[in-house]
Amino acid sequence: MTIADGVRRLPVPSKPRRPRTLIAGTVITTAVAAAHVIAWNATEVSFGALAEGWRGMADFLAEAIPPSLTWDVLEPSLSGAAVTLWIGLLGTTLSVPFSLVLALLAARGTAPSPWAYQTARSVLSFLRAVPDVVFALIFVTAVGLGPFPGVLALVCHNVGVMGKLWAEALEDADPGPSQALRSAGAGRIQTAAHALLPTVTPQLVGLLMYRFDVNVRSSLVLGLVGAGGIGFLINQSIRLFKFDEMLTHILVVVVLIVAVDRLSAAVRRRLS
Amino acid sequence: MLTLSDITVRYGERQVLHRVDVTVARGELLAVLGANGCGKSTLLRAAAGLQPMEEGSVTVDGKGRGPLDIAVVFQHIHLVRRRTVLDNVCAGALGRLPLRASLVPALFSRELREEAMACLDRVGLADRAHDRAGSLSGGQQQRVAVARALCQRPRVVLADEPVSALDPAASEQVLALLAELAHVEQLAVLAVLHQPSLAARHADRIVGLRDGRVVLDGPPHSNVDSLYQPAAMEAVS
Repeated sequence: MTIADGVRRLPVPSKPRRPRTLIAGTVITTAVAAAHVIAWNATEVSFGALAEGWRGMADFLAEAIPPSLTWDVLEPSLSGAAVTLWIGLLGTTLSVPFSLVLALLAARGTAPSPWAYQTARSVLSFLRAVPDVVFALIFVTAVGLGPFPGVLALVCHNVGVMGKLWAEALEDADPGPSQALRSAGAGRIQTAAHALLPTVTPQLVGLLMYRFDVNVRSSLVLGLVGAGGIGFLINQSIRLFKFDEMLTHILVVVVLIVAVDRLSAAVRRRLS
Repeated sequence: MLTLSDITVRYGERQVLHRVDVTVARGELLAVLGANGCGKSTLLRAAAGLQPMEEGSVTVDGKGRGPLDIAVVFQHIHLVRRRTVLDNVCAGALGRLPLRASLVPALFSRELREEAMACLDRVGLADRAHDRAGSLSGGQQQRVAVARALCQRPRVVLADEPVSALDPAASEQVLALLAELAHVEQLAVLAVLHQPSLAARHADRIVGLRDGRVVLDGPPHSNVDSLYQPAAMEAVS
């Protein structure tokens, strides 16, 4: 006799089906399906058009390949990529103090009052809702074309995103160390400085690195609307039908993005 | 002396503490024992000002509790693991420091650091001052928490199940340390414990709670079996 022969078994009772759960599931599934049908029509999705137009794509690629690897093209491409990197870097680091202040105001537990909490949350929502490209266009009208409006645009949008992410990290922090210092008579700011912030530093830095990664990619798009960097060069080569140069710029971008992604991932991995 | 008078605490409809009176003299380690849910930790939290009371008062040496009079040692220790041991101990003094002198650890004065070192020496961890708190063992971390409490310069120390997460050897060390602080530093120490044997070895007096009422107040070797009878457990649940 094996152990399995002596195993006792019981019939599994049938899972109770609640009518409300079934109705809610049906409604949600129908609503999601309807939204996809509407989206399909609204975006004029047509695989037929894609199949018919393949020749145009092929011509485009034929003109782009091989990429132009002359120094005359590579040199501005590399310096443009560097500018894109610097826009992403400054757009991230200059937003840190604003993000931190707003995150502390927008996190339950550190917000000094409900009024401050709601105000900070509203400011963050506004900054997040306005796309960085729109900020860039606004700042281009103020300071002209070039990388500087790109930096300003990224700072504004990034404060909105990073402030919210940081506020949520602060809310999720282990409340124990803060409680210990409060019971020792520490004030609100002292508690934040000596318990809360040191506790969540790895999460905050991890999110910062993630946003740096995103911002370098965003600064590329900002270049397309006149904020300088390699995005500006890509836009220029498309306008001049120099698709081989465009491909060179894109390859440089790929290297840049992969390098930043690796750096960001390595830092986050080390922190975790 | 710590005096808890008529402490009454209610969680919604459920009354957790019924007019509890407890005193702890200076130089005394009082252990509070009882089954799960009998109100031990609630009593400690009420004494520390962390739990609102329906009725009752907490006085230290006959006066209302001041913000720095009572230091708390928590069950889950609650150190900032990424900071150094010394910075964690210095943080115990935050309540008496102006903001401009305490916003970051670099602003802590030399006097405060030296005082924190003395507190660390008191718990036998002066040689670990510059280690990260998270690198210490559980027992060592709890001793750092005791040093942090000392750096607050309190008159009363409340310890909420301070050894529940520690192995027997570390539990002995921490309880011996709390008893020594009570006797040598003339602090009033109240410790909530789950282990009657530890209380018998280290406490000067024990108080037993059952269903939110004091049912035992006597010497450390008192028979505490009645506190853990099933009837008491059922009544609580």
